[in-house]
Amino acid sequence: MKNLFKFFIALVTASFLSLPTIAKPIELHYWHGHTGKLEAIINEIADRWNASQDESVLIPTSKGSYEDILAAFIAAYRAGEHPHMVQVYDAGAAIMVAQVKNGVVYPFEDMAAEYGVDFNKDDYIPGIRNFYADSDGKMIGIPFNSSTCLMYANMDILEAAGVEVPKTYEEFEQIAPKILEAGYTPLLQSHSPWIWTENFFSRHNLLMTDGNNGYDDVPTTTLFADTPEFITHWTKVKEWKDKGWYDYKGRAWGDNQAPFIAGEAAFWLGSAASFSGMKGVVPNFTVNHIPYWDSITGGKEYPTFIGGAANWILSGKSDEEYAALMKLAEFMTSPEQQLFYHNMSGYAAVTYSATDLANEIGFYEASPYHKAVGEQLSLTGSTIPGGYRAGNWPQIREVLYENYPKMLNGEISIEEGMKRMDEGASKLLAQFAKTL
Amino acid sequence: MKRVQFSSYFTQYFFIAPQLAIILIFLYLPIVQTFRDAFTIQDAFGFGRYFSGLDNFTFVLSDPNYITALKFTLIFIVVITFFSCSIGLLLAVQANNVIHGKSAYKTLLIWPYAIAPAVVGVTANYFFSERLGILYNFFNGLWGFDWYDNVYDAYIYVFIAASWKQISANFIFFLAGLQNIQKSIIEASIIDCKSSFRRFWTITFPLLMPTTFFLIIINITYSFFDTLGIIDTTTIGAPSGETKTLVYKAYIDGFKGLDLGSAGAQSIIMMLIVLVITVFQFRFIEGKIHYN
Repeated sequence: MKNLFKFFIALVTASFLSLPTIAKPIELHYWHGHTGKLEAIINEIADRWNASQDESVLIPTSKGSYEDILAAFIAAYRAGEHPHMVQVYDAGAAIMVAQVKNGVVYPFEDMAAEYGVDFNKDDYIPGIRNFYADSDGKMIGIPFNSSTCLMYANMDILEAAGVEVPKTYEEFEQIAPKILEAGYTPLLQSHSPWIWTENFFSRHNLLMTDGNNGYDDVPTTTLFADTPEFITHWTKVKEWKDKGWYDYKGRAWGDNQAPFIAGEAAFWLGSAASFSGMKGVVPNFTVNHIPYWDSITGGKEYPTFIGGAANWILSGKSDEEYAALMKLAEFMTSPEQQLFYHNMSGYAAVTYSATDLANEIGFYEASPYHKAVGEQLSLTGSTIPGGYRAGNWPQIREVLYENYPKMLNGEISIEEGMKRMDEGASKLLAQFAKTL
Repeated sequence: MKRVQFSSYFTQYFFIAPQLAIILIFLYLPIVQTFRDAFTIQDAFGFGRYFSGLDNFTFVLSDPNYITALKFTLIFIVVITFFSCSIGLLLAVQANNVIHGKSAYKTLLIWPYAIAPAVVGVTANYFFSERLGILYNFFNGLWGFDWYDNVYDAYIYVFIAASWKQISANFIFFLAGLQNIQKSIIEASIIDCKSSFRRFWTITFPLLMPTTFFLIIINITYSFFDTLGIIDTTTIGAPSGETKTLVYKAYIDGFKGLDLGSAGAQSIIMMLIVLVITVFQFRFIEGKIHYN
């Protein structure tokens, strides 16, 4: 019996030793912040890449939300266990660009110069390219899932109320009473710091912080209380809430989206990427540009900031791995893959060659929903930078989240709230400036 | 009696080494690191670290939101400890009196103890969501309950979610305490006093004091440290930061905001608070408790 066992062990060992050595494909680890349908789309991209070649394998891992992923990857980096590529969102762009000098992030443009085959910088849509670039315009992150805030409209409700989709907030004020009369909530919105703060400023061509939104100098304060247009907007929002034209359902994204999905609200302001979750769930909806105040811009429409995230390459990996990563980046930004991603998720296409391909095959005639995001992001005429570089921004968003409800329920005045937000933000900006 | 002795020092150190290693790595090392973070300023990746004295502490203590969180945490501790202890005691007394199906009641009451705080929060979410929530709609019908907007309604929401889980823990310990009381004392008291209410407060409850004291400490630690998952899955601090506990705030600043200096300073402030509470309990309360 004992001998038999020994024989068996020897057999197993021998069989392993005699196996022909197959070159193992390079593993590329990619951490991202998508869940649900968006995660399934990323897995599909990975499957396509893995099937298209056998040199490397892409292993995507979802780390939860955008905030979670930033914390997870920083912890991993400090332990020396970081992945090759990581997805970091708009509010984290300042942190990532600042980490180039410490050698954490490997700038995309440097990698492309070293390993790229047919990398063409000018193919990337400038607004998207510059948001994740340093102050000299060098591309640091790889533009990937680019969204912006858009307005979703339930056309059945609009028909029942006998109104059209508004272009401006003035028009919205005209039609809101009719929608309310028809028994529906006119408006909801899912992310006050992102949609009605950051993108309020970009939509109306106003500066949000000093130091030219942080592009020229390290910002020291936000300009909330110093911008009368911003105060007016929130004064109006409070009026709307009191009249029942706008409803606030706390700070959770989904709680504010739920009434729209249930067919109880006419308009919902959300992300371009919300499209993937609503397609086939909400009947008869359209995706539109986000409204603006005609009285502020004088009839002109300005672009909003890019939302969503970019992929960032991390340092400390081997030459072969970077060569494989560059091929992967070229695959992911190829027009065909982008169009697939654009179509499935609702995120914008990030290169001209992808939008050209979309036009060529008549994509936007077939699916008019997808038009709004690209259109709104490519608007021109802004005199402010196409983004903001302000540190500690995730916590500044917390400060905003804490003050808006107080303003809306009348606990503090709008002016007082703005003052408190500026004070809170300045402190956090000063705290971040100490680490530079 | 013969004393057991090891022949060399090596053997004893060898046997306590694993235990010591665990304590050093998982308890003392993090504390040292927390102190280092609290007195230095660094970026999220740990670069550019320099000594900053008490900067992080003044930054934290001058933040009005921190004071709000501190006040809420103190209210939270008192309310959770009081309600979960008293309801747990009530249930234990009742379950102890039940004659038929005693173990079925006990098992059912103990179950919630096995649920993780985050899961408790998600479950509570179903009860308090505006669209699906039974309790939301019930309270809303009574007085227009709306935790998105009203601070006190949000308090009620987290209080219910956080104390519900702890009731079963208290129940187990009180039940064990009740069963430890000698039958003869209870029987003697029945002869002396007719009122079961008075018997409970003069005989049973004093005999339960050691258990109660222990449970109060357990509940304070629970509501202080273990409720992070519940806050994160219920109100996220709604309506406007009033339902953030100190631990939750440290978590947000440290892990979401990536400001390790401020989070470190907050941890040390919390350590001091817990230290004060514990010293107070042992100095002033324990003296009044009679162990058998």
